[in-house]
Amino acid sequence: MIGCYVTGALPRSSELIRKTRAYERGRINKKELEESFEKATESATKAQISAGLDYITDGMLKWQDLFRPFTENLKGVKMGSLTRWFNNNTFYRKPIITDYVKREEDVVNNMMQLEKLPKNLSWKAILPAPYTFVSLSENQFYKDKAEFMFKFAEVINEEIKSLAERGFSYIQLSEPALVYEPLAPKFKKDKLALVNDVLETAVKGTTTKTCLQTFFGDFSKISPQALDFPVDHLGIDLYETDFEKLKEYSFEKGVALGLVDSRSSLVEEQDELVAVAEEIVEAIYRSRVEEVFICPNCDLDFLPLEKAEEKMKVISTVTKRLREEFP
Amino acid sequence: MNKFFPTQEVGSLAKPRWRIKGYRGKPLSKEEIAEAVSWGRKLGIENLEELVKLLSEGDSASRKGALLEWSAKYAIRFFETAGLDIVFDGEQWRSEMYEHVIRKTTGFKFLGNVKSFDYRYFNKAACIEKPKYAKSFYLDEFLFTKENTEREIKVPFTGAYTLVDWTFNEYYEKKFSGEIMDFKRRKFEAKREFLFDLIKEVIRPEISKLVDAGAKWVQIDEPAATTNPADEEMKLFVESFNETVKGFNCIFSLHNCYSNYEVLANHACELRNCSQLSLEFANRDSRQVGTGNARTGYKAIELFEEHSFKGNYGLGVVDVHSNFVEPPELVRDRILHVVKTIGDPSRIYVSPDCGLRTRTWETSFQKLKNMVLGAALARKALE
Repeated sequence: MIGCYVTGALPRSSELIRKTRAYERGRINKKELEESFEKATESATKAQISAGLDYITDGMLKWQDLFRPFTENLKGVKMGSLTRWFNNNTFYRKPIITDYVKREEDVVNNMMQLEKLPKNLSWKAILPAPYTFVSLSENQFYKDKAEFMFKFAEVINEEIKSLAERGFSYIQLSEPALVYEPLAPKFKKDKLALVNDVLETAVKGTTTKTCLQTFFGDFSKISPQALDFPVDHLGIDLYETDFEKLKEYSFEKGVALGLVDSRSSLVEEQDELVAVAEEIVEAIYRSRVEEVFICPNCDLDFLPLEKAEEKMKVISTVTKRLREEFP
Repeated sequence: MNKFFPTQEVGSLAKPRWRIKGYRGKPLSKEEIAEAVSWGRKLGIENLEELVKLLSEGDSASRKGALLEWSAKYAIRFFETAGLDIVFDGEQWRSEMYEHVIRKTTGFKFLGNVKSFDYRYFNKAACIEKPKYAKSFYLDEFLFTKENTEREIKVPFTGAYTLVDWTFNEYYEKKFSGEIMDFKRRKFEAKREFLFDLIKEVIRPEISKLVDAGAKWVQIDEPAATTNPADEEMKLFVESFNETVKGFNCIFSLHNCYSNYEVLANHACELRNCSQLSLEFANRDSRQVGTGNARTGYKAIELFEEHSFKGNYGLGVVDVHSNFVEPPELVRDRILHVVKTIGDPSRIYVSPDCGLRTRTWETSFQKLKNMVLGAALARKALE
């Protein structure tokens, strides 16, 4: 089966950007801002539907960064200073851990607008993976980093279950930190074993499909260990991953191929993407082709909305063409 | 300089309201005009009635140009009055460090706002054809500054690596799409060619004009220098700096802030013809006076020393993101602490962490004045 979806936040429209600026300058009130978010969310889901994506997200337009719902709503976590988001010219607020991390209520629910999601299509939600959250937080409390990681995995586990109850059937765990290590090219086996166990905790007893989406780094560096991670699908950033090394591995799980570059405004040539996807799928599936998703390599909100919409159409067209190749 | 601890600014100063609104052609309130007059008196600006008359006039191209000159004159005098040894015009002619250059260069198209953080965004351009020099972007402001000050001038200049890192690279990525199959390699090679074309076609021609016009010192601003800390990228950054400054009869320095100094220190001694590293420390430092343990924010300087950087430091002793006005004694101790660390007072220039554009003129003025007083105290302590 070949499908497609987005892998992160969509860009805010110029209209919504105008409104958020006006709100910050005190020119409009919270209610007007909320209305703008609602309208923009509706457009964001419509854009995904009209592009023909198989799973629909709410666009995550309110998320100031991947961690923010957790930074704001978890007990024991405070909001720290602005920090560079990997090698991008964007910034997140560093979560500061000052006490036992505790989930007292739904974390991402108040960021979501479920009524804007289509009833007849499948829903996807995106959460930070425990390793990434813990690596990018400032831990002032837990003596043992692994303990903190397992604790956060429990939080994620509860979130996944709560999202499943609300109708989500696909959960992506975003895991850039595991592959982005520009200064330490060697990945330690014991670290990957720990991540494996942490993911077990995160997905234990859940019923949705799960994907560990890696980006900003080379997936082949965490292989072959990552191929056995306890998730249904593995997401790969093809703009950071060495193709030849990737093709050396044999996959028994589904993959989400980050075939479109969210950090470039150049709209990709479909022929080339189809050829690359075919080559990779044929190489990594020696016996039988598992589920394959075509997606952007990371959040599309690195782009202005118009470009992001063009790129969503590209992934959809490429998916259709691949379905003919791999029926 | 024939004294220790010369004082300098780093670049931007806030634009006064009469400059912003006036430039947009919006009518000014009495208070805004009064503000112009009051600062003008404080700074000893001549012919203030001429400015008042201009501010009351309707919008026109010549009025816009005149307003740029007036606000530049104010900023120059602002720095002089605060007592700085090395000055510029507070970047009053520039909309902002990125857009100003890109708008005046051929080959780019602005695509719209993309997120920076929270409800902040920046207007990001794409390179859609080979960049070409269209008109000078810094020359006029340099000439104006030169005419209006007797002090030493340092021209802040947005570096090529940062311009490239903040721009979508459509033209070159497309160009390489048939040639290199691996996406990562393709993007890197496309970035490299974009960078060196920009240096050759745009950056060096402008430096050349500045040098011909008498510029003696250009500060290359590279906030993006360590955004990509991988070795290959850092080498590219170093190469771009060296190529930018190669062969000019001029002093160059590098300003880099809110960055990863561990990474920069690793490569600092590979920078050629870089007489000074202007770095930010004050924002990370304690506010207690004293040297030694109190100076938590200045630890990073040891990294540069360990990696044998031999040039001067533009030592950030004033936090540009806080309204706290550093007492002269605190400035003094920050300087004296670094004197102890590096052992050579002649390598220290004293400056704010970065441009002061986010502070009011009142706060900036107090901060700079105390910075100058602190440098004098440090000099005295060494006598």
